[in-house]
Amino acid sequence: MSDKFVRAIAADEIAPGGMKTVELDGNEIVVCNCGGTYYAVQRRCGHMNAPLELGTLDGTYLTCPMHCAQFDVTSGEAISGPVPPDLGHEALPPRLGAYMQNIGMLMKDVRTESMRTYRTRLEAGWVEIALCVGAPGRLAEAGGISKVLPKV
Amino acid sequence: MNAESRKSALRYFFEKVVEPLGFKFTPDAELKEFLLDQEVILEAKHGTPFCPCQPLRHERVRDMKMVCPCIPFHRAHFDAIKRCWCGLFVHKDVLDPNTLPQLEPKDVGLE
Amino acid sequence: MKKVVLYTLSTCPWCRKSKSFFTEHKVSFTFIDYDLADEATQSRISAEVDAAGATGFPFVKINDEVIVGYQPERYAKALGIRGGAQ
Repeated sequence: MSDKFVRAIAADEIAPGGMKTVELDGNEIVVCNCGGTYYAVQRRCGHMNAPLELGTLDGTYLTCPMHCAQFDVTSGEAISGPVPPDLGHEALPPRLGAYMQNIGMLMKDVRTESMRTYRTRLEAGWVEIALCVGAPGRLAEAGGISKVLPKV
Repeated sequence: MNAESRKSALRYFFEKVVEPLGFKFTPDAELKEFLLDQEVILEAKHGTPFCPCQPLRHERVRDMKMVCPCIPFHRAHFDAIKRCWCGLFVHKDVLDPNTLPQLEPKDVGLE
Repeated sequence: MKKVVLYTLSTCPWCRKSKSFFTEHKVSFTFIDYDLADEATQSRISAEVDAAGATGFPFVKINDEVIVGYQPERYAKALGIRGGAQ
């Protein structure tokens, strides 16, 4: 098993402070341009799987749009968990209220995991991402099939 | 969550907010670290980094005014005493924060 | 002997300093760490603090006089003793 750098996206496709999602060999990855240095982290939030490219990148801190968990893109480390929402004080319709109560109870147990990061390098104007090839169950050779996923 | 990592993030975010308001982190390093440690604990407990020196009322609108940095909600008061209530931030020109007493608005002729 | 009551927060270094002041000057006092108190106590303290027009802690009562913030000179004056901060 070894790492192979694969072309992911043209460097100038991502403005400074911006993010774009690519899919490489089944890996959903968000590429972040932090002042000219590119970082790559898994696309799915370590809390509840939300697509992080829809969140906010500030410096090297990425905030998830769903519940505002925060991650350091240089290490993938989860640095803060979800922020509890303010649902107000009005009584909810009974079935909705019961549902929300159940969800709330289950969500207390949901952990915010730190995220997988990928090594990157710039090569001839391209952001390349290192993927592990030859691992069981994956393509024997990462063919550099890169899809830039459209923004939802 | 690693407390040191969270503190680094808070330092980064807070600096960007207070700098245009004319404030900076207190030069008292020990106080700064202690207050940030408390804010990490408060954030883990309540979901938001509240001021360690103001009582939470458990009413969203009131408690919003105590989310760090709370300077915008107490601008006249903090500008008059050149520090925020807990002392995490001081005016940019302050060299010795020990010269800044913890005065209430009425002590400086406000409200 | 003056009655000294403090409302404080376990997270606040100035509250800690104000407790130290009274200890070092050998003045007996009682205190409640608001953030560690139950809801009913918090409500009571909150109402009292609002009535006095205060928003921050420490909230110090020396007999009827209320002093908000770490203010050793004013504590000393209210107690009728010498000396501010140690």
